[in-house]
Amino acid sequence: MKNMNILIASVGGQGGLTLSRVIALAAVGDGKSVRTGETLGMAQRFGSVVSYVRVGDEIHSPVFDPGDADVILGLELIEVSRNVHYLRRGGKIYTADEVKPPISSSLGIAENPKKSDLISRVSSKVKEIGGELYVIPAREIAVKAGNYRAMNMVLLGAFNASYSLLTDESVRKAIYQLLPGRKGDISVNAYMQGKSLNLKDYRKK
Amino acid sequence: MNPLKAPPGTKIALMGNEAIARGAIEAGTYVMTGYPGTPSSEVLMTVHEFGKGLDIYAEWAANERVAFEIALGAAIGGARALVTMKAPGANVAADPILSAAYSGVDGGLVILIADDPGPITTQTEQDSRWFAELSKLPMITPSNPQEAKDFVVIAHELSEAVNLPVILRTTTRVNHTVGPVETGEIKPPKKYVKFVRNPPRFVRAGMVWNRERHAWLLQQLGKVEDFLSKYGLNMVEGSGSKCVVTEGVGYEYVMEALSKLGLKEGVKVVKLGLLYPFPKRFMSEVLRGCDEVLVVEELDPYIEFKVKELAYELKLDVKVAGKAEKLLPEVGELTPSTVLKAMKGFLHLDVHESEGVERLEAPPRPPPLCPSCPHRNSYIGLIFGILKAGFRREEVPIFGDIGCYALSVNPPINAIWTEHSMGASIGMAMGLKLSGFKGPVVATIGDSTLFHAGLPALAEAIHKKVDMLVLILDNEVVAMTGHQSTLTWGKTELGRETKPLSIEEVVKGMGADTVVVVDPYDIDRMISTVKELIRKPGVNVIIARAPCALHAARLYGVQKRYTVIPERCKECMACIKITGCPALYIGEDHKVHILVEDCLGCGLCAKYCPFDAIVEVSKG
Repeated sequence: MKNMNILIASVGGQGGLTLSRVIALAAVGDGKSVRTGETLGMAQRFGSVVSYVRVGDEIHSPVFDPGDADVILGLELIEVSRNVHYLRRGGKIYTADEVKPPISSSLGIAENPKKSDLISRVSSKVKEIGGELYVIPAREIAVKAGNYRAMNMVLLGAFNASYSLLTDESVRKAIYQLLPGRKGDISVNAYMQGKSLNLKDYRKK
Repeated sequence: MNPLKAPPGTKIALMGNEAIARGAIEAGTYVMTGYPGTPSSEVLMTVHEFGKGLDIYAEWAANERVAFEIALGAAIGGARALVTMKAPGANVAADPILSAAYSGVDGGLVILIADDPGPITTQTEQDSRWFAELSKLPMITPSNPQEAKDFVVIAHELSEAVNLPVILRTTTRVNHTVGPVETGEIKPPKKYVKFVRNPPRFVRAGMVWNRERHAWLLQQLGKVEDFLSKYGLNMVEGSGSKCVVTEGVGYEYVMEALSKLGLKEGVKVVKLGLLYPFPKRFMSEVLRGCDEVLVVEELDPYIEFKVKELAYELKLDVKVAGKAEKLLPEVGELTPSTVLKAMKGFLHLDVHESEGVERLEAPPRPPPLCPSCPHRNSYIGLIFGILKAGFRREEVPIFGDIGCYALSVNPPINAIWTEHSMGASIGMAMGLKLSGFKGPVVATIGDSTLFHAGLPALAEAIHKKVDMLVLILDNEVVAMTGHQSTLTWGKTELGRETKPLSIEEVVKGMGADTVVVVDPYDIDRMISTVKELIRKPGVNVIIARAPCALHAARLYGVQKRYTVIPERCKECMACIKITGCPALYIGEDHKVHILVEDCLGCGLCAKYCPFDAIVEVSKG
């Protein structure tokens, strides 16, 4: 297979690291090569966090450059807009319909962008390079699955429905390895819900 | 799957630091210690999470030098030991490390020093490869998680073969990278064997002995390259007279670039796993086959200097390029594209580069103090106390230290004036005062940082009768690096009972003029205590004690939360302007909202709302 580069854009504490770890564990479970590059440490809480995930037959670098992401998985729209330049020509973005304004916005030091503006800005950039943008009500779906924290798994489901990068069995095992018990049940549920979405309904043109 | 107990031959996805922990277990390491510091902390944390029931000692120490001395004490008795630290920690441990090179060890002693090119979370872009030159200790470096694990085992073998501590040098992109790792055999932990009195070896008070040991050290170093040759740490791939010499994660970027360039032949890639002593025999042979060399390495031109020196010694007509020739930057971490660009220039190739879109502007989101963080209350209390005492903010320097509380530098709190190195707040405040500064000075320091390096400075300030206010921010945990234990805990992570130290008893024992313990959530008392003590002569200490809110929420759940009644919010933003709490935000209706899931219920915003718009909501 061709190497796949996935960028996960999130706010520290939203579950971006768990998502990258689930993909890595599942990919190794499926016998693929994988590398991730993370920003770790408690001090990243509520800060911008980016994880790089690379899956393929032979992977060397843990990170990649702007213009090289096949897919961006976004847990928050400001963070997606901050990282949209990572998307390659024809790449796809799956993002939660979520805005968490940073303190700089609330203090009036920086702009406090509206959700609709964020979506249209990202959408116009994606259009420039012939990509696709899916804005998914991940919170709503995660809450139905049992907990808003499972938003990350909803996005994984939506992404994997299109790309079939990972087998469901490996994803399930990876989830339970990281999140045993009820948290795992909820996450698997959220993943399956994300997978069964009719993605056409969420495509922004 | 438990990464420490998985049987040999298991293939699992491990983070570099988890792989190092596994390597330590495979090597039969009995004593593991260190001081938390990104990107090194997860090695011991992995042992704490997965090592229950294993017969090993794995505990944090007060600072890196104490940790190293513990590891050294174990290794001179024949046990295998590992000590972990981030790059600045190596500076703290430098004194005993340099002496240890003269005494040597009997059991394997591996020193993990984790550098942080970028820097991503560190005060400097220190290149600790020079530390090997300085200490004359062997240094090896892995490129990925698999090697990170394997190299710990090799480092132990080397350490026992040449009787020297061995430095395992890593960088963030190895420590914090997840990749596939195949596990190896696990050896039983190697504990104390014997320790015999031998003053020439272990006493550094004899200068003749020291000269003898120095000569011994050089002789031992001469055995390293030979011993390691069977492990294949240095490798050559490909062929040709154009050579790329690299190490660490740089190697992975080089391989990535070759695959992007579609090159399988015509370039020789030389990967060095042994950094010190420089593998001269191996490199001499390699260099003789090269017309041109590109050195790909992060930070300083370390290998570049070595290669240039060797080419000069061998009188070879070979062009060596790297940092000095500006092909690669000395500042910041390398990326696949900076390496690709350098390789293209070196190989005179043209390749289509990835094209994306222009960057979109987005509001900055530096990490703030967490919701309900007790440090927020401490600093707001400190600033209001300073104002209430009749000073302007710019009249009272607030010296900061290393820990989460350094995030108070950002708006809206804008508290600390300095953040320098572990424990520096007190000494620097003292120096300013002694130099003739007339106003009050404040040193703010965390609980773990106080024990790490703050105590000698505090003793100095008390002894020298320097007037200052010391605010000890005691959140009862090493928070910033992921909630590790401190010396005030009654139990280690693996459950061994310990004697909890009392900060107030320690500080009183030193002779501080005033010692007051305040709950920072009682902000009025914080303010009045600061107001009272800021003008008082002597060293006056406030211990602001409340557990890290995130840690407490994780352990005990969230007791209450707050919400905003929109009709009452007059959009004055007092709550946000005072607290800067990330659970607060301004919605599209211009009113303040609380992200209920992020609120941990301290109620500080409610206290400062002039319109009572913020109210408590019951649990659930």
